[in-house]
Amino acid sequence: MPLKLLKCDQTIPEREKHCYVKAPGESINDFLPSSDISTIPGSLSERGCAFCGAKLVIGGALKDTIQLIHGPIGCAYNTWHTKRYTSDNDNFQLKYVWSTDMKEQHVIFGGEKKLKQSILEAFREFPKIKRMMIYTTCSTALIGDDIQAVARDVEAELGEVDIFCVECPGFAGVSQSKGHHVFNMAWMKEKVGEIEPVITSPYTINFIGDYNIQGDTLVLEKYFDKMGIQVIAHFSGNGTYDELRGMHRAKLNVVNCARSAGYISSELKKKYDIPRLDIDTYGFNYVAEGLRKLGTFFGIEDKAEKVIAEQVEKYKPKLEWYREKLKGKKVCIWTGGPRLWHWTKTLEDELGMEVVAMSSKFGHQEDFEKAISRGREGTIYIDDGNELEFFEILDEVKPDVIFTGPRVGELVKKLQIPYINGHGYHNGPYMGFEGAVNMAKDMYNAIYSPLWKLSKEDIREAL
Amino acid sequence: MSLVINQKERQGIINPIFNCQPCGGQYVAIGIKDCIALVHGGQGCCTFVRLMFAQHYKENFDIASSSLHEDAAVFGGTMRIEEGVLTLVKRYPDIRIIPIITTCSVETIGDDIEGSIVKINKILKKDYPDRKVILVPFHTPSYSGSQVSGYDVGVLSLVKELAKKSEPNGKLNIITGWVNPGDVSLIKRYLKEMDVKANILLDTESFDAPIMPDKSGFACGNTTIEDIADTANSIASIALCKYEGGSTAQYLEDEFKVPAIIGSMPIGIKNTDEFLKNISKLTGKKIPESLVRERGRALDSMADLGHMFFADKKVAIYGDPDLVIGLAQFCLEAQLQPVLLLLGDDNKTYPKDPRFKEIEENSNCEIEVICKADLWELERRIKDKSLDIDLILGHSKGRYIAIDNKIPMVRVGFPTFDRAGLYKYPVIGYKGAEWLAETIANTIFADMEAKKDREWILNVW
Repeated sequence: MPLKLLKCDQTIPEREKHCYVKAPGESINDFLPSSDISTIPGSLSERGCAFCGAKLVIGGALKDTIQLIHGPIGCAYNTWHTKRYTSDNDNFQLKYVWSTDMKEQHVIFGGEKKLKQSILEAFREFPKIKRMMIYTTCSTALIGDDIQAVARDVEAELGEVDIFCVECPGFAGVSQSKGHHVFNMAWMKEKVGEIEPVITSPYTINFIGDYNIQGDTLVLEKYFDKMGIQVIAHFSGNGTYDELRGMHRAKLNVVNCARSAGYISSELKKKYDIPRLDIDTYGFNYVAEGLRKLGTFFGIEDKAEKVIAEQVEKYKPKLEWYREKLKGKKVCIWTGGPRLWHWTKTLEDELGMEVVAMSSKFGHQEDFEKAISRGREGTIYIDDGNELEFFEILDEVKPDVIFTGPRVGELVKKLQIPYINGHGYHNGPYMGFEGAVNMAKDMYNAIYSPLWKLSKEDIREAL
Repeated sequence: MSLVINQKERQGIINPIFNCQPCGGQYVAIGIKDCIALVHGGQGCCTFVRLMFAQHYKENFDIASSSLHEDAAVFGGTMRIEEGVLTLVKRYPDIRIIPIITTCSVETIGDDIEGSIVKINKILKKDYPDRKVILVPFHTPSYSGSQVSGYDVGVLSLVKELAKKSEPNGKLNIITGWVNPGDVSLIKRYLKEMDVKANILLDTESFDAPIMPDKSGFACGNTTIEDIADTANSIASIALCKYEGGSTAQYLEDEFKVPAIIGSMPIGIKNTDEFLKNISKLTGKKIPESLVRERGRALDSMADLGHMFFADKKVAIYGDPDLVIGLAQFCLEAQLQPVLLLLGDDNKTYPKDPRFKEIEENSNCEIEVICKADLWELERRIKDKSLDIDLILGHSKGRYIAIDNKIPMVRVGFPTFDRAGLYKYPVIGYKGAEWLAETIANTIFADMEAKKDREWILNVW
């Protein structure tokens, strides 16, 4: 079956080109869903904005940096207390958010003075913090405030601080994705190469496109440590501002989220000739494969094998136990994009599950190429899915569990379907060997909750 | 004792108390039945707010975005409104009303919302002659006010659009302000016990939605277009919150001669007494013994706790202005000392609120009120030891101040996502006073145990 027009989309038939059902013998090149294009207004799309992609997703994960949002208060309020990226310095990045609190007079007469004042105040109130990122938002971009000029002015005045500026109004691009791109390119252009890191190992990498959700980064770092590999920079989970300025000194870029951070990896390759190694950090087979590739690259295969053997011995029996319980269960993955292709095959190969529908908020063509080539036949692949489509798909594929965000999770709960937080996880981390077990455990507990059976019963029915 | 009103001195904000105006508009919209708002602006303005409602209620609420992209930001976005409305109308056959909520971007570029509505209405009339879908503009630029004023704008815009004088209905208008489903349930019960009928704006009781055997239990608002239209015909309006719905009560008085009683929010015993007496005065219905008993039970609970555990304890309160003021009044009744009140937006009329004078007269402590406040004002005072407090009352976004400084905190207001089920319990009314007192006590008790601070005292009190 080629592209599919869902019943709820009869009145917006342009949605047909965003929905594909994989059939045997087809070339995905003929039916690749359209992606990364304009959203249909009023469709209850799941998409967010470019500012989100820059601040909330990437910059905000840094543990030592003031995140100053130049705009009215909502953009700051909304990107605070919503993420689960932890850090080893007591989660500074989760506790604070900064706003210039733009008011009408600043929209009319310009916000640069208020921006400067807010920067000075922020550094004054947090005297130990010397790094800052400034983001524009819709209104401050429209009025054309020159945030770079203000930042350079403050740097000259204060001396020891460093400030990075991101122009990422919410209307830029069509989704969060544009914010990733702008952040990547600007960081590469302005900040990489500014600091020379201390090299402590012959094997050095940047670990790119991992945001330490519930401690993912720390799990992988444990493996790298055991292999004697030094991580110059984490982009950006549990990372620091200054380590990202030394990215040019790594011998290898190891990339997990190719969507949000493939850009900087490719730029580092272009400018500094650092090879890019794309790996999957979810699932036993993928993680083992990734570590093996790393071992091969540095000629430390034995160390890789040792880590893999240790981890497999420790966690494999647990995974096998869950496999018995989960095989044959049907799964939907409705997240940003990359987790579709990270997860579909690993759930299938290692747990015997079937991923029956996938929806990506902001994935590009290459994400669909990966997801469809790894995914099952008969599975529905959707770009920029919306709420009515979700209902219709559930009706059709009848999943046992859904990986998605908490709001959609609450919605499908009413349909007596459990969810797992596919963004911030339930009980993570989900990366690495132990993470794969955590993920399986959460799915098992979700699917086997006694509540689903109880919720189907109508107590009025005849005894 | 004294009460001083100051302003935050910093220009910028660190850890905001409030979200922006469009959030308040969206909160109003989800309280209406057969309504999906169209938020005209970037996608985050809608998606983030939907997440925030999910954080507080653990429910989904439908809100749409016009998905403003770069071309529209440069050349105007009214086409996006038109397309957005038509998409909603086409795909949601039951939809009856679409508030069009503006954001900072579209207020800045100056999209003509009213002009778009005229144009879309013509299209709707032609293409859907059998359907009536009402479009209502909510002008909520985020660079003014806050979620509080956005809520006020939303309710007022709906009433201005819909209220129509016809036959007197013998009802009261109850304009709730931004309260929880538990508060709405309590209001409905009190009205029922007093045998009074009302138009409730907004009836959010149904936000606490069940999982039903037939899978039908979705969360949505319960106030209908007819309820709102009927507000022009009521005996009187009571706005529980001056700053969230007060302007609507005033409008109904000015426009339709429906007398208005605006705030105090019925938090604590005395404010609830006044609320019930007002209902009684306006309708001629008696306050039943059941409510005298409920009042007595609340007093009974508070009397066990007040002079034993609460007296001389210092409290900081932040959140919606009516809530903060009401909680301060409650604290004084319960012998707690509300020493610091933080109001998180730029409303210039706060210092003139007569309730502050009243609080000052009733207090036995020095009280500081900070306007335009943020949560850093609270945290900084605690960290530099200029403020010593025993309890924080506020929403969950202030949680780390309490956690890191080991101060017991009771979650009230919006959002309260880091404790389970709080939206189900009232803070208003006698029952709410009882809940507040007991929750505060239990929170202090748990803290005494955790810190081994006279935990042995909790045996015979």
